[in-house]
Amino acid sequence: MKINEKKFFELATEYKFEAADLSVSHEYSLNLSLFQSEVDSFSESDTYRAIARGIYNGKFGTAVTEKFDKEAPEFLVKEIKETATLIENEDPSIIFKGSAKYHKKNVFNKEVISNNIPAKIELLKQIEAKLRAFDSRINEVASIGYEESMSESTMSNSYGLKLKDKTAAFSIYAEITAKQGDEIKTGFKVFASMDPKEFNMEKFVKEVAEDALSKLGSIQCKSKKYPTAIAGRPFAQLLAAYLTNLDAEEVQKNSSMFVGKLHQPIASKKLTLIEDPLEKNIFFSYHDDEGVATSKKTIINKGVLETYLYTLKTAKIDNVEPTGNGVLGAKIQATLGYSIVKPSKKSLGRMISKIHEGVYITNLEGLHAGMNAKSGNFSLQAQGFMIKDGKLAEPLSLITVAGNLYEMFMNLKEVANDSELQLNGFNSPSVLIKRLSISGK
Amino acid sequence: MLSKSQAIEVLNAGLSTGADYAEIFIEDKVSYNYSIENGKVDSATIGQSYGAGVRLLCKNQSIYGYTNDVSKKGLLNLAKTLSASFKGKQELVIDSLKIKNVKNSHPHLRPQAEVPSEEKIAYLKKGDKVMREASPKIVRTKAGLSHYKNNITLINSKGFIYKDSKERGRVYLMCIAAEGNKMETGFAGPGASAGFEYFQNQIDIEKLAKETATSALLMLTAKECPSGKMPVVIGNGFGGVIFHEACGHALEASAVSKNLSVFAGKLGQQIASPLVNAFDDGTIVNGWGSNNIDDEGNPTHRTMLIKNGILKSYLVDDFNGRRMNTPGNGACRRESYKYEPTSRMSNTYIDNGSSTPEEIIKATKLGLYAKSLNGGSVNPATGEFNFGCSEAYIIRDGKICEPVRGASLIGSGAEVLMHIDMVGNDLARAQGMCGAASGSIPTDVGQPTIRVDEILVGGNGGILK
Repeated sequence: MKINEKKFFELATEYKFEAADLSVSHEYSLNLSLFQSEVDSFSESDTYRAIARGIYNGKFGTAVTEKFDKEAPEFLVKEIKETATLIENEDPSIIFKGSAKYHKKNVFNKEVISNNIPAKIELLKQIEAKLRAFDSRINEVASIGYEESMSESTMSNSYGLKLKDKTAAFSIYAEITAKQGDEIKTGFKVFASMDPKEFNMEKFVKEVAEDALSKLGSIQCKSKKYPTAIAGRPFAQLLAAYLTNLDAEEVQKNSSMFVGKLHQPIASKKLTLIEDPLEKNIFFSYHDDEGVATSKKTIINKGVLETYLYTLKTAKIDNVEPTGNGVLGAKIQATLGYSIVKPSKKSLGRMISKIHEGVYITNLEGLHAGMNAKSGNFSLQAQGFMIKDGKLAEPLSLITVAGNLYEMFMNLKEVANDSELQLNGFNSPSVLIKRLSISGK
Repeated sequence: MLSKSQAIEVLNAGLSTGADYAEIFIEDKVSYNYSIENGKVDSATIGQSYGAGVRLLCKNQSIYGYTNDVSKKGLLNLAKTLSASFKGKQELVIDSLKIKNVKNSHPHLRPQAEVPSEEKIAYLKKGDKVMREASPKIVRTKAGLSHYKNNITLINSKGFIYKDSKERGRVYLMCIAAEGNKMETGFAGPGASAGFEYFQNQIDIEKLAKETATSALLMLTAKECPSGKMPVVIGNGFGGVIFHEACGHALEASAVSKNLSVFAGKLGQQIASPLVNAFDDGTIVNGWGSNNIDDEGNPTHRTMLIKNGILKSYLVDDFNGRRMNTPGNGACRRESYKYEPTSRMSNTYIDNGSSTPEEIIKATKLGLYAKSLNGGSVNPATGEFNFGCSEAYIIRDGKICEPVRGASLIGSGAEVLMHIDMVGNDLARAQGMCGAASGSIPTDVGQPTIRVDEILVGGNGGILK
């Protein structure tokens, strides 16, 4: 399906738009899941979407359509004009002429789009069988699935800028339940990549199985403040919440806890964070949604905040360069791309070796409800392990961990070396926090 | 639009390899979003969503696909691709389709799309102004309206065509209060399956804005919440999210049918305190989570889930009902054509009991009053749930005392329901979005004020004294 791009830009001129842009995306996906070794669900999709913006009388209008018919260009232009007419803010409205250089890489791997469904079913059956055979306490493989997706998009604007992208990725997930007496625990893992060769079945099975089994026999610890180590995945979730405050618009509107913190510490000296959207992985992107080229840059250097994230609009207000972090929703917001927490040389074992009594958090729940990224206060359901005499001890469940993000990051004592790519766009190792409030019994 | 004969052709293509059920779901939806920030219109978007999903079932297997190509050719291709997953012969042939009338039980007196944008904006600005003027400590305000009209066509191999039109709207009020290095937020989000008259007649936006700002300002003064196990009084309205998380999700057939719920196999058994009566009611007139029919064409239903603490019913869709030998009870829902539908909640609530909210507070010596909550989540297999408090206070000697911030409540659903020891008589419902396998859908949660005699409270303020 195609939208008549030429017609859209002709109409934009006819409607006296100062500038306009059009992003058209095409998504294909295939999902497959098994239950008790039978295909339980299969889905396939093929969809198109166009987002168009235009500047009319100095204001932005936005329209979206999935109806790619003859009337689509006219629908978009009319609705852009209508919505632009309503806007009252005095923000600068800018459509970008283009960056001097784009670091485009071919990340599309056609091997991901397999078209060999029986082979994928067989793969899932093998994983399921291995999970069931792993330990007699594994009593059900609640869900196991495979997904592959392909995305093609073109962004063009009335200044002649045209940026194209094509990516493909796949993921494999499994959730199991393990039972011991009346106690039931779940184990879950998702593996996602752009290269099928990276999938290691034995490792995946072991991680899913151990995730559930290691939780059996769990206790609630005594409520108090403990030295707290946090595994890479939950730490990346806390980091993501903290760094929503980087958007320069939030800073300009006094609603970010990083107001006045540029070139000031926002974490202890142990934390260095580098954004690298150009690294070849599932998060690769060489330009943002406004067409600004992305680049590798240091966000936090030894605890010091090096930059806010700027869209075209907020960059103009602060008279700086945009940072290539614009993401288009109802309006453009600045969001961090793929970022790496600089690891140390210390293993997790060594990092916790001096803790007499502490907690190691491996899982957090309810971040949408128990996390207030504005105030930084959080109180979250957690799972993990006791640390006793420098070693991991009993599993913990139904505990909460509470604190304040700013205080927590300032009290970050150590970073380990067990870095892993997390599915929220961070590459993060385990860390150690001086003390956090843990509630149990 | 697909003609009857074209639809028959698509259904038969889907059934050609042995599927025992085929269904086409077509959606044509226009959404409008307006947002006011600090007194000025900050964003406005109009979006058109259009596409179709084809679902084929064969015994306990389901196959689903979706596309924006809603032409006969597009859907026929999709049905053929999907049917290649089955290897049998056609056993069911469709030769005719009948239109089944869908009665609209949720009147829209002033369809939102027909209300001039200026009128909607003026309404939002009233709320935004009250929040901004509440205090110099309010540093940022937002007032938004999202509404949509969704025309649905559902055609299935039972031989029926259903045409339904859904219209929903929701107002958002958000504010940020700041003082020194502290920052707190306030939020309110009323909505309904109704026209703009709902906001004009039933929502006093200025009063709501005042409450929203007051809550954010109050939290600036709050101390950190103490932690540990304690009695908790949970406020009415959005407090019902506790039942939604602790019980509702685990009653959905998607978990029950595979024995993956803590409540599987427990029909007729005591799963909650005898004080608890609970319903899921998709028929409430103009309810945020209401529908005329569900996404399998079954009429929505008022389902008694729990009577005097005894489990009476699950929430069942036709497909998962196959594993349970139970027909669907109107609980099959999806976000859009991009999701395969499954069993979900609609408007779920604990019914009124006999205590007054004042009696409940008075009967509590030392504990937490969670006046309003801001959502939560659950693992249906273990029943472990959590939710966060947006406004909470300590109760001392039967009186509501100092406000506390940063509180979360966690527990196991099976346990917490048994520990409800007082149920109030001030039932109220509140609106939320519920995310699960078939996407993010509008649902109401609700309850009167209730007390749980012991629940684990997480916070950063040490032990409650």
